[in-house]
Amino acid sequence: MEIRLLAKGYKNNVQFYEDFLEDKIIGNEDYFSEEYVTITDIPNFPFYMGKESGEGRNKAFLEAFQIIAKYYILTDRELHLDERFWHSLLVTKKRDYILEKYPAVKEGFSEFKKIVIKNFDWENYIYKCVLAAEYIEDIGENEIEKSHLYQLVLDNLDVYNYIIKYPIFRNAEFVVKILMIIDELNISKIMKANIKNRPDLGKDTRYGRQVIYELNKNYPIVMAPMMEKEDLKKEVLKALSYYYDISSIGRELVSIN
Amino acid sequence: MIYKKDANFPYPILTNTTTAYMNPYFSLDVRLEENTNAYRFLLDYEVGSTFINNLIQKNQATVIFIIQSKDTRFVKLTPNQSYIDIEKSRISLNKRTSIQLQIQTNEEIGFTNNDDLTSFYEPFKNEIMLSKNKLLGFSNVVIFEGSIQQPLVLFEKKLNENLTSDIKVELGTETIILHYKKAEFQFNGMRNSRNFNTPYLYIGLQKALQNFVSECGRDEGAVDLTHCDVPETGLDYKLYNLMVKKMITEISNENIDEVISLISEKMIEKYSMAVRELDQNGD
Repeated sequence: MEIRLLAKGYKNNVQFYEDFLEDKIIGNEDYFSEEYVTITDIPNFPFYMGKESGEGRNKAFLEAFQIIAKYYILTDRELHLDERFWHSLLVTKKRDYILEKYPAVKEGFSEFKKIVIKNFDWENYIYKCVLAAEYIEDIGENEIEKSHLYQLVLDNLDVYNYIIKYPIFRNAEFVVKILMIIDELNISKIMKANIKNRPDLGKDTRYGRQVIYELNKNYPIVMAPMMEKEDLKKEVLKALSYYYDISSIGRELVSIN
Repeated sequence: MIYKKDANFPYPILTNTTTAYMNPYFSLDVRLEENTNAYRFLLDYEVGSTFINNLIQKNQATVIFIIQSKDTRFVKLTPNQSYIDIEKSRISLNKRTSIQLQIQTNEEIGFTNNDDLTSFYEPFKNEIMLSKNKLLGFSNVVIFEGSIQQPLVLFEKKLNENLTSDIKVELGTETIILHYKKAEFQFNGMRNSRNFNTPYLYIGLQKALQNFVSECGRDEGAVDLTHCDVPETGLDYKLYNLMVKKMITEISNENIDEVISLISEKMIEKYSMAVRELDQNGD
């Protein structure tokens, strides 16, 4: 399948949006560069979970993980981590799918920007899914472990989002280790809870985010991104203990002091 | 993460600039090879401390390869490992990529027998005790400019008969792209065709540099090249290198023409000669 890449300048172009709605993008040379990319299969997958919650959201994410893992992350990373590729794919090949699945794009340019040509960073659902799929497919030992890890991403989406914001923590081993540690210590609920009575920490601060923040602050004195899991577990508990009474969490406490 | 500046540590660290070690070097050189599926990073590194080298050989410390592009990857090296393969599906070198080596302890290490430290540490080195996972040293940073495909090319020429103007200058991620509506406008096939394109190149450079000033100058209308952050994007990074190499220290909207004449290898002079030659030989 050949995908023609869009030329720069489409992102803030309202006319481009209107032409998308009227199906006038294909055939208009002004919108395209001379570059093409080739990819074998381009199956549909949910790529915007911003309006979903609960089971619906989890289902959409799992479907995206699976399809991205199977069809997209096998291409050169230059391609599947390239914003222009995804925007070109969506606009030129997925118009019908978008209009049916995300009718909100018809409401206005800002919705279209938020759903279809969203900046490709940690806030973009495709980006989140591409990284999760790469990391888990490479590290997961078998299908059961992989699906467990995908579930852990979903159960800890707030921490996952926060981790992939930091360049040093945005790496496969660290993401997977942290998720496994949260699982083993059974602290998922704590990690995503809001920290109360600490106005000094800013609005909407959660335990998980503060733990990652502490690990970031201590680097390089504490080399968190490349620690073995058991060593990292102690650092996680130590960081959590600055904000939370961890005595209820278990025996691990004994070994950190 | 990669250190670009000297970080402060509570104990001596081996770097290329430290005053803590007698032979302050931990140098890294990287060559890149590739096949269809993978990049191979060939590592050439040297650690200027016998003490640390022995720790590595005895597996009491590990050299860690860190590569940062879209995300960060850490690879623990075996003592004499000389290269690392990473699949192209897992690394993108399109953007600027930084590589560094770090050495980390695998167990508790005492510095009593570290004879490579400068005399300053002699009286108290036996008190230095590093626990597991502590940093022993870090190398220089090797940078790939994110322009593997077009390392030096600044301009691209394209023909586009559907243009609504005769010529269009576009700033790409790695290059300045000159779109021509008609092939004749490129003077192809003529002697000196390259020089006859000078006016277009000039316009392209001017546009790219104006963009550079607004991107890197953050509304101030001027960029101090000796102190500014090195640009991340390909084209701005190339322009930055070109200007620094030509010893330009500041660029502003005021001195763009001056900068062009300094970085453009006598472009106008060559153009003028080409036109004169045409005039003398011509009809």
